[in-house]
Amino acid sequence: MTHQMLAYHMVDPSPWPLTGAAAALLMTSGLAMWFHYNSTLLMTLGLLTMLLTMFQWWRDIVREGTFQGHHTPPVQKSLRYGMILFITSEVFFFIGFFWAFYHSSLAPTPELGGCWPPTGITPLNPFEVPLLNTAVLLASGVTITWAHHSLMEANRNQTIQALTLTILLGLYFTALQAMEYYETPFTISDGVYGSTFFIATGFHGLHVIIGSMFLIVCLLRQIKFHFTSTHHFGFEAAAWYWHFVDVVWLFLYVSIYWWGS
Amino acid sequence: MLRNLLALRQISQRTISTASRRQIANRVPEKQKLFQEDNGMPVHLKGGVSDGVLYMITMGLTVFGTCYAVYELFVAAMPKKMK
Repeated sequence: MTHQMLAYHMVDPSPWPLTGAAAALLMTSGLAMWFHYNSTLLMTLGLLTMLLTMFQWWRDIVREGTFQGHHTPPVQKSLRYGMILFITSEVFFFIGFFWAFYHSSLAPTPELGGCWPPTGITPLNPFEVPLLNTAVLLASGVTITWAHHSLMEANRNQTIQALTLTILLGLYFTALQAMEYYETPFTISDGVYGSTFFIATGFHGLHVIIGSMFLIVCLLRQIKFHFTSTHHFGFEAAAWYWHFVDVVWLFLYVSIYWWGS
Repeated sequence: MLRNLLALRQISQRTISTASRRQIANRVPEKQKLFQEDNGMPVHLKGGVSDGVLYMITMGLTVFGTCYAVYELFVAAMPKKMK
């Protein structure tokens, strides 16, 4: 580790960008192998190397920040910019799927029966499980804010409790959504309704799972005393991501579940 | 059963209110010392032997996987004969 006098962080040479890129290659070619040659070996290898890369890369960031003190205020600022830009890119990712939904649903074609929901589709009742899901995610937004304030007030136990509650709510949402998926009378191959519904809500569900895992890591770090009351950017990043996931759900609920039914 | 439940309630309440019961000590200063040691090791190997093992496993899978992917691409590009 070179000794540096500047406020910015010159990272040590790291193999993880290379392994990450290779993982992307393996996953994509693995998908092709799975679809066309009925072999899942390459895809499994890709997933495994991706998980290993993610674990070690983020472990190294924790080491650099919490244990080596490299996350000075300018560095933290750049990390904040980075997370904001990443979340913005994810917003645009979802905008694409909302575009697809509105394109198909605002002017339903004759093939669908000229109506939305299309003929033959029985949509889910938006005032049953989807409404519960909305309440669950909104509550999780409250609990994560509670956790943040507890953290800023150096209240260790309340931070742990509130963060745990947030994670439990996130897992509850995932479980409820999984049950809903099982119970839907329509599938992804049921025309454009099925496609837009499952792709939009499916990617959202994936983001809930990712967000929950991020929160679990934060909980473990909080238990291990990594965060201080003034310096806890990892937690803030997780909280931003979680609020983003919540907002996407609200749009999904209003557009697809409620207006689209 | 009920007595156990009551005992559990008492213990969990006490655990929540006194961190010492949880027996998790703050090990961050030890980690800080370990990772700030001037031994020239890059951060991804600085934690010890297990870092190296995990690195070798990851790199091994990466190299093998990349070679395998390239091999399969060649095979897929050949019309009929498998070499």
